[in-house]
Amino acid sequence: MAKKVLTVCPYCGAGCRLYLLVEDGKVVGAEGAPGRTNEGTLCLKGRYGWDYLNDTQRLTKRLTQPLLRDKSGELAGVSWDEAIGFVADRLTAIKKKHGPDAILCTGSARGPGNEANYVMQKFTRAVIGTNNIDHCARV
Amino acid sequence: MNNFLIANPDRCIGCHTCEIACVLAHAAEDALVSGAIDQHFTPRLRVIKTATVSAPVQCRQCEDAPCANVCPTKAIVNKDNTIQVVPEACIGCKSCLMACPFGVMDIVPQLLGNYTLKQTALKIQDDEGGRSKDKFVALKCDLCIGRKEGPACAGVCPTEAFTPVLGKTMSASVANKRKARVAELSGLSLNQ
Amino acid sequence: MSNGVPEIEDAKCLFIFGYNAADSHPIVARRIIKAKEKGAKIIVTDPRRTEAARIADLWLPIKNGTNMALVNAFANVLITEDLFDKDYVAKYTEGFDAYKEIVLRYTPEHAEAITGVPAADIRKAMRIYAGSPTSFILWGMGVTQYGQAVDVVKGLSGLALMTGNFGKPSVGCGPVRGQNNVQGTCDVGCLPNVYPGYQSVTDDKVREKFEKAWGVPLSPKAGVTMTMVPHLAQEGKIKAFYVFGEDPVQSDPDAGHMRHTLDHLDLVVVQDIFFNKTSMHAHVVLPATAWGEHEGVYSTCDRGFQHFNKAVEPKGDVKPDWEIISLVATRMGYPMHYDNTEEIWNEMIALCPKYAGATYEMLDKYGSIQWPCPTVGHPGTPYLFSGNKFNTPSTKGNLFAAEWRPPKELPDEEYPLVLSTVREVSHYSVRTMTGNCAGLQSVADEPGYIQMSVADAEAMDLEENELVWISSRRGKVMARIMPSERINKGTVYMTYHWWVGSCNELTIDNLDPVSKTPEYKFCAAKVEKVADQAWAEQYVKDEYARLRARMGCQTAAPAAAAEAAANAN
Repeated sequence: MAKKVLTVCPYCGAGCRLYLLVEDGKVVGAEGAPGRTNEGTLCLKGRYGWDYLNDTQRLTKRLTQPLLRDKSGELAGVSWDEAIGFVADRLTAIKKKHGPDAILCTGSARGPGNEANYVMQKFTRAVIGTNNIDHCARV
Repeated sequence: MNNFLIANPDRCIGCHTCEIACVLAHAAEDALVSGAIDQHFTPRLRVIKTATVSAPVQCRQCEDAPCANVCPTKAIVNKDNTIQVVPEACIGCKSCLMACPFGVMDIVPQLLGNYTLKQTALKIQDDEGGRSKDKFVALKCDLCIGRKEGPACAGVCPTEAFTPVLGKTMSASVANKRKARVAELSGLSLNQ
Repeated sequence: MSNGVPEIEDAKCLFIFGYNAADSHPIVARRIIKAKEKGAKIIVTDPRRTEAARIADLWLPIKNGTNMALVNAFANVLITEDLFDKDYVAKYTEGFDAYKEIVLRYTPEHAEAITGVPAADIRKAMRIYAGSPTSFILWGMGVTQYGQAVDVVKGLSGLALMTGNFGKPSVGCGPVRGQNNVQGTCDVGCLPNVYPGYQSVTDDKVREKFEKAWGVPLSPKAGVTMTMVPHLAQEGKIKAFYVFGEDPVQSDPDAGHMRHTLDHLDLVVVQDIFFNKTSMHAHVVLPATAWGEHEGVYSTCDRGFQHFNKAVEPKGDVKPDWEIISLVATRMGYPMHYDNTEEIWNEMIALCPKYAGATYEMLDKYGSIQWPCPTVGHPGTPYLFSGNKFNTPSTKGNLFAAEWRPPKELPDEEYPLVLSTVREVSHYSVRTMTGNCAGLQSVADEPGYIQMSVADAEAMDLEENELVWISSRRGKVMARIMPSERINKGTVYMTYHWWVGSCNELTIDNLDPVSKTPEYKFCAAKVEKVADQAWAEQYVKDEYARLRARMGCQTAAPAAAAEAAANAN
């Protein structure tokens, strides 16, 4: 029997609520949930837009480990510690050399959610020290 | 009379959700997870858009079904108030395709689960050599016969554009319309 | 949106401008259908005969790139035919005299010459709009993705002010936000001029509050927008770009220039769930969890906070976005640690009076809370501007008009067509999510499509599904022709999800001076027939395989492409 997990559609701004049907730790379907905007209905993206979670590689592949460009110019897998260290060191150096306003960070208007975006703008403002924070609202 | 589905073009927004639902209703249960939907993607209804109309076009389950009447192998039958293809009897002759005035018959490779059935005798012979030919059969809307929730297309439509019409209730509805019109006649003053 | 999505169906007049809900928000389109069935009058302004235009009482087929002229003419009719609400204008608005002076120059006849919309229909539209007890304006990217966008937004809002259509149910303005959380990303301050809760970074009091909460001094200077990156990088002002959950090479205008920009930056960080086109230019790529693998809160297009749950465990060595950013912050000497999203949420709502009552517990109780929600237990605010008080110093609504400006790059002999970018109903944004979904891929797939009027297609001897070259001064791509009776002559439309038929190789980087939104809806282009279609089909296959291979996908693409082409209509 599939477990039903209440969530919100990750596609357009209509904000339809839906249930993901989960079996053995895998999503197997979606159905409309009673929501303020959708009242149980879903369009094709809400209803059939979940199987990317299985890394189908129909278009491109899921990222599964941090990647860093090596000496040959190729992106190669590294540890989190190395990747985070690289980002932190480079940002610190650029900030020191060119000032905080030489750095621009983006939020993400898609799947991450409001909390991740709050953290990103806080990082940009409090840690980098600039208001150069934006997202794809314009595209 | 036969049952059928009718879609209201004033409600259709041309979103194709019904087409995916149709394919999945006729595929293995895990067709999205397994990716088998790729081989199955032949919806039995198609959303058509002209300048002024958007609507899915699908089989009307005709009473005097031309597809069945022209079929030389009697592979199309009237079953449970619907018109059904019997794939085992179909020879892929395309007579039904020619006869159908709605353009809702297709001829497609027959699938068994996720596999395409091959013919036992007929081979393709061309530059690439000889190989077994797929078995082709007629494909049409079966009104999701045997599906307890009813036709899948109607169930997923976000604007509820489909109305199921049941043969038996249709007779009653026609009778009611007659009654209603007669009642109006009684209000007429013939001296005016 | 000033008013909520559910209110759409009870409006007596829907005034839809440059917004194709059927393709961008099917579940909002559902409310438009319901409104029609409940007797609403529907007016649609769009160069294409969209699904809404098809069922409209009045369709105004406007010439691409002439929005401002039409909106000014609408205001002209409201004044010259005495259709506006004088009492409302006197009490709740300001700027009428300057507004009147400009719009009086835009008579319906003058506007007809610019927009192609018959003067009689311009008048008729305003008689319906002003005559209805509740009129709700809905607009989309057909308004905002022009070099003159903010002016038109203000102009449309002015029509609502002139007719008193604010501050009650089923009226107001609905700029229907495209992406699932574009409203939320603005709500929490991912904008260069405001902190979370739309609190200005230049307001000393506000800044002091955030400085105290975050324990560091903050910059008093507003930042720059993302669409300015190519320009600022060229000037040497931007050196590092931390791209989080976006794919600017696919989504931003003039992809060639964007690639050049990225390749010349000192640092490009990409944080995403999929390998995308931008990753190819990254120095470092940070893998995050996806929708379905984490929880949080999204905001609907009508300001509704809704909590979403985690359904499955992520695979691979990935982390939630907030955790990745916290780790970088900590490594840079600013310790940042959260145990869960609720802790982050609580920190934010404590700093934002508008959101204060929207705790996880209350979100769970109400399902959806539309801000403002100032106290715990407050059910939220379905519509804004109650009592007709607006977010201006005087609390009055500003009436605003501007002279019409034509788009930057007009068609000419070499590039005789107008190219506008639009949406595909079965795909979303840069397509990394929907393009990896089997059912959605079956409806539409590479190389993508170009919609063209039947007359233009016939004149060029092009048949449905034929592959053609489309080019502009910035690039050249291949896509399939979709002739349609719903498309206006002289303009072609491409959907922006495709890798091979990538329309942003062609689009122009002309920004609105205020919003900095690019002019995706207008550039000059040409279409060329490809004589050898077998060669073209092979080119598409090879090009797609090459792009996928560069992103590490060596497997063959599913064979849905040909079928999708046959299915599309």
